[in-house]
Amino acid sequence: MAFLNRADWYDLARATNWSPRYVSEDQLFPPEMSDRFGLSLEQWEAYDEPFKISYREYVDVQSRKDADAYSVRAALARSNFYDNADAGWQSILKLHFGALCLTEYSAVPGESKMARFGKAPGMRNMATFGALDEMRHTQIQLYFAHEFVSKSRQFDLAQKLLSTNSWAAIATRSAMDDTILGRDAATLSIMLTFALEQGFTNLQFLGLAADAARAGDFSFSNLISSVQTDEARHSQIGGATLKVLIANGKKEEAQRAVDISFWRQWRLFFTLTGPAIDYLTPLAHRDKSFKEFIQEFIVAQFERALVDLGLERPWYWDFFLKSIEFYHHSGHLEIWFVRQTVWWNPAAGVSAAERAWLEAKYPGWNAKWGRLWDVIADNVRHGRTDKLYPKTLPMLCNICGLSVGSIPHEGHSNRGYWTEFGMRRYYFCSEPCQWIFNLEPLRYQDHKSVIDRLLCGDIQPPDIEGTLRYFDLMPGERGEDAHDYAWAWPELALDPAAERPSQEAA
Amino acid sequence: MTEATDFMLNNKVGPVIKTGEIADAVIEAVREDNPGKTFVIEDNLAYVRIQTDGECIIRRETMEAILGRPFNMQELGVVLASFAGQIESESTHFRFYLTRTL
Repeated sequence: MAFLNRADWYDLARATNWSPRYVSEDQLFPPEMSDRFGLSLEQWEAYDEPFKISYREYVDVQSRKDADAYSVRAALARSNFYDNADAGWQSILKLHFGALCLTEYSAVPGESKMARFGKAPGMRNMATFGALDEMRHTQIQLYFAHEFVSKSRQFDLAQKLLSTNSWAAIATRSAMDDTILGRDAATLSIMLTFALEQGFTNLQFLGLAADAARAGDFSFSNLISSVQTDEARHSQIGGATLKVLIANGKKEEAQRAVDISFWRQWRLFFTLTGPAIDYLTPLAHRDKSFKEFIQEFIVAQFERALVDLGLERPWYWDFFLKSIEFYHHSGHLEIWFVRQTVWWNPAAGVSAAERAWLEAKYPGWNAKWGRLWDVIADNVRHGRTDKLYPKTLPMLCNICGLSVGSIPHEGHSNRGYWTEFGMRRYYFCSEPCQWIFNLEPLRYQDHKSVIDRLLCGDIQPPDIEGTLRYFDLMPGERGEDAHDYAWAWPELALDPAAERPSQEAA
Repeated sequence: MTEATDFMLNNKVGPVIKTGEIADAVIEAVREDNPGKTFVIEDNLAYVRIQTDGECIIRRETMEAILGRPFNMQELGVVLASFAGQIESESTHFRFYLTRTL
């Protein structure tokens, strides 16, 4: 049977706007759900989605992707890769599936909102496929994670994390709700598909896929790069929105949406992907550093696309470039220190050889973070276990929910940012997070950080054990040092399994 | 920030493709479909980055000749994990491009 070329019928077939007679345009497309920028249906007619696909083609392409991912997994299922993998790599799998399986699902209502409330037919069409994409990402990643549930209880978090009150879950829900549930279709197309999916997901789903392939985890590498092929398509929804907005004099508002979302997602992704690539991936399998992946996917690729569409770099761009050098190093150290509060076993990743790699990739690493790890290693060797865990929780930001980190040593450059609003003071990790709050304090005023919850008495008893139970992290799920501190004895760095000297008296 | 500026000031476009048969065919096809252009191919084991300046076209007929079988351009979507520049996706070709030159 002969088919017409898609280009010959596509524009006509997806021309599904009509003039409502029984309701007003605003009743059909309420601005708070559809378009806060106030463009008319006619203005949205100019929307032209650049990555077109028909339903027939979609089904065909997606079935091939699934056949590929599931068959690679089936072929490698008996290879016992997991059992033989380094504990750091096992932690990457726990971290990835826990953080992402249901976060993908939280994107389904976002795509669905665009599919129903988008005023452009092309947006509705592409977002329908986008919603199916995100369901696929949820299902396939839960399926892959399930294989490991018998290996470690920590894989349960793939199902569980996002419905807990763990700091990571609160931070993720807050960012995704601000991006998806709390935005109209036009704004969320920019915040979700453009700022997140055209940018940062590349780091976790392609950067990490490269490391996975080097580590020999072809099943995982193939899975996550397959997920990113869907993102490559539906992430194009937002770019087309930007063109319509700029053409209709809404550049400033569009820019603000990009700037808010880019920063919120950056705060999440340096926490998620930074430690995975620079510390948890076994040294022998590393190639590019996290910074180099950012330079490839964010600086050279995403930022370039942003400028080409007619927008400016976010106003905090210089600080963003600076933060690439330190955010995830401080973040990793922090996570390792509060490792009981996470569902994977953080690998310190600071043996002598790993330090040499870090110093080469980030000149000055030893003088900043290495000095702190020296103290921790010394505490390990002297059996000062009480010093290996925090006595209190770190200060958390009222927007991103993540730790207020900075560069150690350089006069401890940490500084506070706060805003007085209503009856209280809100604290922020950085100027961009404070800027986001100050734009719309009413939007954010009722959100309580973990620290707020502790001070308000939501967490009882207000100690570490009470906090862990509030996080719904039970014994067996809580993180421990991935290599049982072997890295603290430099002479054992190359053979973590070797017997270590008895600990010196403290 | 000299280093970062170097990354920003580029006019690179092109696909980032999961490694395999299609990626190999695209590497061959872009040289034929974009005569006179220089391509940089970066193999990252899980994905291949194929880049050139300004514009990069991949034509269906070229892919068919290389693969020796019918090829629907949407098959590229099975392995197209990311790309630099903007995209134009037609049944006859995919095109990656930038509208402004830096």
